[in-house]
Amino acid sequence: MEILLLLSVFVIATCGLIYELVAGTLASYLLGDSVTQFSTIIGAYLFSMGIGAYFSRFFKKDLLSWFIQLEILVGLIGGISSAALFLLFEHAASFRLVLYLLVGLTGTLVGLELPLLMNILKDRYEFKDLVSRVFTFDYIGALAASIVFPLLLVPYLGLIRTSCFFGILNVAVAMVVLVKFKREIKWAPYLKSKAVACIIVLLGLFIWADKIMTFAESQAFRDPVIYSHSSAYQRIVLTHSRLDLRLYLNGNLQFSSADEYRYHEALIHPAMLYSPKHSQVLILGGGDGMAARELLKYPEVEQVTLVDLDPAMTRLFRQNSMLASLNDSSLLSPRVRVINADAFQWLKENDRQYDVVIVDFPDPGNYAVGKLYTTAFYRKLRHALTDSSVVVIQSTSPYVAPKAFWCVNTTLQECNYQTIPYHTYVPSFGEWGYVMASPGPLAKHHDSLPAGLRYFAAGTFSQMCDFTADMQQRKVLANHLNNQILVQYFEDEWGKYQE
Amino acid sequence: MAIIAGGTVTVAQYVACMEKKDNYAHINSRISGASAKAGHMMRDQQFGTPAITEYADAVIVGGGVAGLSAARSLHHSGFTNFRLLELEPHTGGNASYGSNQYSAYPLGAHYLPIPNIENQPLLDLLAEAGILTHYNADGLPVYNETDLCYDPEERLYIRNRWQEGLIPQLGISQQTQDEIKKFLELMETLRRAKGSDNRYAFDIPADNSSTDASYRELDQLTMEAWLQQQGYHSEELRWYLDYCCRDDYGAGISTISAWAAIHYFASRKGKAGNADSSQLLTWPQGNGRLAQHLQQFSRDKTQTGCVVYKITPEPTQVLIDYYDINTHQIKRLVAKACIMATPQFVTQRLIPGGSYHHDFVYSPWLVANITLERVPESSGYQLSWDNVIYQGKSLGYVNAQQQRLTQQMPAKQVITYYLPLDHLDPVASRKYAIGLSPRHWVKLIADDLETVHPGITELIGDIDITIWGHGMIRPHAGFITGEVRAAAQKSPFANVFYAHSDLSGISIFEEAFYHGNKAANALAAYCS
Repeated sequence: MEILLLLSVFVIATCGLIYELVAGTLASYLLGDSVTQFSTIIGAYLFSMGIGAYFSRFFKKDLLSWFIQLEILVGLIGGISSAALFLLFEHAASFRLVLYLLVGLTGTLVGLELPLLMNILKDRYEFKDLVSRVFTFDYIGALAASIVFPLLLVPYLGLIRTSCFFGILNVAVAMVVLVKFKREIKWAPYLKSKAVACIIVLLGLFIWADKIMTFAESQAFRDPVIYSHSSAYQRIVLTHSRLDLRLYLNGNLQFSSADEYRYHEALIHPAMLYSPKHSQVLILGGGDGMAARELLKYPEVEQVTLVDLDPAMTRLFRQNSMLASLNDSSLLSPRVRVINADAFQWLKENDRQYDVVIVDFPDPGNYAVGKLYTTAFYRKLRHALTDSSVVVIQSTSPYVAPKAFWCVNTTLQECNYQTIPYHTYVPSFGEWGYVMASPGPLAKHHDSLPAGLRYFAAGTFSQMCDFTADMQQRKVLANHLNNQILVQYFEDEWGKYQE
Repeated sequence: MAIIAGGTVTVAQYVACMEKKDNYAHINSRISGASAKAGHMMRDQQFGTPAITEYADAVIVGGGVAGLSAARSLHHSGFTNFRLLELEPHTGGNASYGSNQYSAYPLGAHYLPIPNIENQPLLDLLAEAGILTHYNADGLPVYNETDLCYDPEERLYIRNRWQEGLIPQLGISQQTQDEIKKFLELMETLRRAKGSDNRYAFDIPADNSSTDASYRELDQLTMEAWLQQQGYHSEELRWYLDYCCRDDYGAGISTISAWAAIHYFASRKGKAGNADSSQLLTWPQGNGRLAQHLQQFSRDKTQTGCVVYKITPEPTQVLIDYYDINTHQIKRLVAKACIMATPQFVTQRLIPGGSYHHDFVYSPWLVANITLERVPESSGYQLSWDNVIYQGKSLGYVNAQQQRLTQQMPAKQVITYYLPLDHLDPVASRKYAIGLSPRHWVKLIADDLETVHPGITELIGDIDITIWGHGMIRPHAGFITGEVRAAAQKSPFANVFYAHSDLSGISIFEEAFYHGNKAANALAAYCS
C-alpha cells in the first residue's frame, strides 16, 4: 500500500513539472523571448506552490478524500491548460494576465499535493524515512519529466496532447487511490464519478486536439505553430521562432516580422511619392494592418478604408496585443475604417473615389483569387479612381515567376492604365514585384517621406525600377476571366521552382 | 421551344422523395413539367364555341424563344396591339430558368456560342441586351467580359481522371491522335468552305447554308455511316462525336445525320474582339438571361395558362380559340394575322386540315438541378464550367455558379445535370420518363455521379428535375433535306405564319430567334 502512495509521488512530481514546462514553452512560443518567459513562469509557478504548501495546514480531516479531490482538480486544470491558452490567445485582451492566473492556479494546487500526501503518510513511516522517500521520488519524477518533455512529448504529442496526457495521469492517480483505499474514503461514489467525468473530458480533448491545433500542421511549418484557425475563407497560421513571427494563409507565407518592413515600405511609399493627393486611401486585402501602419505615418491621410474578406484576420490583428504591436495598432486607429467584404462585390457597390489604392491580395495561385487580377477587376477598380489616382498591386516574384509578374503589368496596360513595374528584395520572400498604375500619367509629386522608415528612401526607387536580364519583361497575354492565363503562368513557374 | 403541350405540363407536380432506410432518403426531389395534363387537354378535350371575343392586330401562339423573338420584332416594327398566348405559367420555353437561395440555374439551354459576325440581327439583340458592349477598331464585336464563360471551361473524366478539355487526350493511341487531328482539320476546312452558290457550306441560321448538293448529300447518311465511310475508327473520337450529337440534338451518331453532326462544328465561326470561336456566353440562369431580355417587349401583352385549341384562318382575319386555365373561360381572339410559334406536332393539330408528320421527331430530355454541399474533389483537372463523363449515359453537369466573381464559396453548390433520354425510341422514352417516380430519378442521377465523385450522394440535399417530353427537334438522317421539313416551312394560309426552331431541324437559340424574326417580318409585310 505504501509503495503505491510513493509511486503516486513520482507521477505527481512528473505531472507538476510538465505543467510548468508546458506553460513556459507556450509563453515563449506565443510571447517570444524565451529566457524571460521561462524565468518568470518558473518563478511564478514555484511561488504558487509555496502558497499551496502554506494552505495545506488547513486540511485536517479526511485527508485521503481531499487528496483525491485535489488530484482530480489538478488533472483537469493542468490537462486543459495548454488548450485553453491556445484558444484564449486570440481573444483575451491581456493574454499575459490569463497565462499567469492559470500558472498560479496550477502551481497552488500542485503545491498542496506533497504536503497533503506527507500528512497522509506520516503515521506509516518514520519521519526521516518519509522525507527521504518522498523527496527521492519527487526528484526522480522531475528528472523523468525534464527528459521526456523536449525529446518525446513536444515533437510527437504536441503541447495540447502532452498536457492532456498528464492530466489523465493525475486523475488516474486519484482513481487508483480511490480503489485501493476504498474503505478509508468518504464520498467514494461521488469522487469516482467525478474522476471518470474528468477522464472523459481529457480523453476527448486528447483525441480532438487536432481541431484546436492541427498537429500535422505544426510539423509542416519550420517553426512552432502558435496559432491556427480555419476561418470561413482560409487557414490562418502563426508561427513563432527565436528570430521572427510568421503569418501563413493557406500555407503561404504572408510575412515574417523580421523583414516585413521591406515588403510593406516598398508597397506603400512609392505610390505615395507618385500620388498628388493622399487624403483618401483604399486598401484591398491587407487584413494584417501592416500596409495601414505605413499609411498612418502620413499626417495628411484622412482616412484609410481597408476592405478585407476575412473578419477572423482583422479581428486577430486588432485584438491580439502582440500582433497589434507589429502593426502599431493601426486597425484600432480612428483614421482606419475596416470593412469585411469581398473586394469584387464591394467595388461594385462603392461609389467613392480614392487618391491611393493599395491592392494586396494573396498570390494568384487559384482560379478564385485569379479573378482579382483580371481586366474585369481592374476596369471595376477604375470607377474607384480619379484620373490622377495611383494604384499599387503586389504582383508575385518577377524572378521566380516573370511571366506571372509581367502578366499583371500587361493586364493593367490593356485596361488603359499607365504602369511602373518595380521590385525589391525581401529576404523571407526573395525578389518581390509590384506594379504601380494610374489612369493618368505617372509622375513624381513629392520628394519627402515620413520619418521612421527603415528601408525605403526616395533615391532607392530608381534602382527598384531596374530589372536585370533574368527578370526582363516577357511577352505575355493579358489576364481575362475567360482565359485566367495568370493562374496558369503562376502555376507553371512556381511549380517548377518548388520541384 | 418545344415545351408547349404534348408531353409537358402546365402545373408543376411536386413530390417529395421520402423513402426511408435508403441511401437517398435525405434527398429532396421534385419533378416539374412532367405530366401531360394541359397539353393533352388541347389534344383531347372538346371545347364549345367561345362566348367572349377580343380583338388584336396580331397574335403569337407560344412564348418560347421563337415566340418571344417574334414579339420583340413586332414591337420594333411598331406594333402595339398584339398578344402572346402561352400554355405554361411563364414564357421562355427551353430558355426557362429557376433559382434557389444559392444560385439561379437553367431548366434547359445554358449557353450561346460566340455568334458568327454575319448574324447581324443576333449581334443587335446582344447589343440591345448590353451583352455586346461595342465594336473594336477591327469592327469585331466586344462582349461584356463578365458574360463570357470564365476559365476553367471544360473537363472530361476519362481513365479515372479529369483532363482539361472535352476531346479525349489522356492515354489515347497514336492512331486516335491522328484521327482526331485529321477530323478537326477537316472541320476547320469546312468551317471556311463555301458551296457553288457562294454561301457557307454550314451556317447559322441553317437556312443560310449552301444548297450545293455535295454538302447537302451528307444529310442522307448517319454520322456513324459517314465516319465508317471516311475511315474513322477510333473509339475515343466516335465517343466524342456521339457526345456532341447527344448534346446538341438529344440523340447519338447512329441517328443524327452527318450534315447535322458536322454543322455542330463547321457552322460555328464566331469572331469577337475579346474571344475566339470556341468560346461562349453563359449566365447562372443559362439562356434565361436572353429570355429575360426578350420578355420585356411583350410583358404586358402576354397571357400565360392559355390552351389554344383551334385556329380558324378566314380571308381577312384569323380566329384563335383558347381556354384560359386561370379563369376557366373559353375565349376567342380575332386578329388580322397570327404567328404559330409552336412546334409542328402542336401547330398541325390546331390549323384546319393539318396533319402531323412523324418525320418531325422530338428528343426527350431530363435536366436536373442539384443542390449539394460541395462537388467532391477528385483527381485531375479542377471543377470547370462543363464537366463531362467519358462514355457516361448522361452528358455530365454544368457548374451553375461558374460566373461568380466573389471569393466566398457559396454555402451550397448548384450543378445542372443533363441527361438526353435516348436509350429508347422517343415515344417509349417519354412514357418511361413520365412513369418514373422522383425517387427513381434520384437514384439514377446519384448513381451516375457516384462513378466520378464517390460519396457525392450524401452531399446532395435537393434535386429539382425538369423533364422535357419534346425537348428538341432531332435532325435524323434525311430530315433536314427532306420534303416534309421543306413543306412545313410555310403555312397554307396567307395570314398564318410559322416560327419554331424545328423548322430548321436544329434546336438552338439562334434558329428559334431567326424563325421568330422571319415570321414577324412576314406578318408585318402582310399587314401593311
